[in-house]
Amino acid sequence: MEELKYLEFDKFLNNELTETEKISFEERLNSDADFKQEFEIYKALETSLSSKFENEEAEKELRNTLTELGSTYIKDKIQTETKTITKTKTSETKVISLKRYRNLMIAASIALLIGFFIFKNGKPVYSDFSKHNSLELVVRGDNNETINKAEEAFNNKNYKTAFAQLTILEEQLPNDVEIQLYKGICLTEMDQFSQAETIFNSISEGDSAFKYKATWYKALNLLKQENFEACKEVLKTIPESTEEFEQAKKLLKKL
Amino acid sequence: MNKKPHADHIYIEALLKNDSRVLSKLYEKFSHKIVAYVRKNNGNADDAQDIIQETLVTIYNQAKEKKFILTCPFDAYFYLLCKRRWLNELKKRGNNRVTILEDEASIKDEHEQQVEETEIFEQQSQLFESKFKELGVKCQELLKATFKIKSMEEVAEFLGVTYGYARKKKSQCMGKLTQLVKNSNEFQQLKGY
Repeated sequence: MEELKYLEFDKFLNNELTETEKISFEERLNSDADFKQEFEIYKALETSLSSKFENEEAEKELRNTLTELGSTYIKDKIQTETKTITKTKTSETKVISLKRYRNLMIAASIALLIGFFIFKNGKPVYSDFSKHNSLELVVRGDNNETINKAEEAFNNKNYKTAFAQLTILEEQLPNDVEIQLYKGICLTEMDQFSQAETIFNSISEGDSAFKYKATWYKALNLLKQENFEACKEVLKTIPESTEEFEQAKKLLKKL
Repeated sequence: MNKKPHADHIYIEALLKNDSRVLSKLYEKFSHKIVAYVRKNNGNADDAQDIIQETLVTIYNQAKEKKFILTCPFDAYFYLLCKRRWLNELKKRGNNRVTILEDEASIKDEHEQQVEETEIFEQQSQLFESKFKELGVKCQELLKATFKIKSMEEVAEFLGVTYGYARKKKSQCMGKLTQLVKNSNEFQQLKGY
């Protein structure tokens, strides 16, 4: 019974009733207040929902426009107010909106915080630049076990063991500059600065492929001692054509 | 009722057309006063922006659905709508002891009538929407399809049911929704019919 009533509403609204059905429907509307009220609600729901769903996309687009305008005009005005600048007629002037401004401030303060972590007293610290390449001493000679131990220890930041293993290796391969370089790195890590410097000096004064790598590490060795001026001077000797130049430039900028 | 559009009806048209050029004029001309009001009454610029946007979207929906014609200056109409919306918002936030700074006494009846029209429209839409969400998922889907697709034949095809079944289901779901609305407290308070 109820169901039929709503189907009849639907048909009436779609103009699908026969003439006689229509007349009796209208008669009932006039005589039955409850029937009439339900019909009115049904009709209103139909209009409202159909409009809502039809315009969903358009409403979204309008909202986008309004959000944009809102942040331009409302935030801008407030900013100009605080700056006591009279608004120009064109209003095309791009003032940073307050929201964006606030975001910028947040970004800036985060950057500042990070800065504090990285740079004590505004100076760079050794650990920010001491990302050593892992030790990979391709097969040199046949003493693989010592090489493995040295590599494993170094790559696990176990510098004391690595230094010991590298020293053994050095005896077998006295002319291997890479081994010496890594010994130097281990020494820096262990805060044996003067020993480390001796090694780096001898490599950087030579002509091996590790010349500038050694120079870089000589600088890092000084950085770890917070000897910033000396560090700078060493960095400046690294030429642009080398692999180390970019890092050196970066560090120089922060010093 | 003889409805002659006010010259400011261009703003309603702009909303309908999403015309950002005219809408930017609207913001330029009318938002300042509302921002000032909200800020004077425990709100900030963000609140004002929300109030303005929601009010404009409501006017847009009313214009779409009911062919709303603005017959009074937009300024007073818009300002009063925003103001009342903000007062409602404050109430919702539980800020009952706020001292409201009354600043204008010259709202004419005509404005008031249009404002009320818009407010009733919004309350009704909100009621319908909330009751729609109380329906079962199946009903919601079917009705959504019905109103988006329009042709019941296509709806039936889309849902993989027969035309007769889709038809019957639609009126059933609408009937249920009608009952939900009719029996709600909000509806008893709404006398817009």
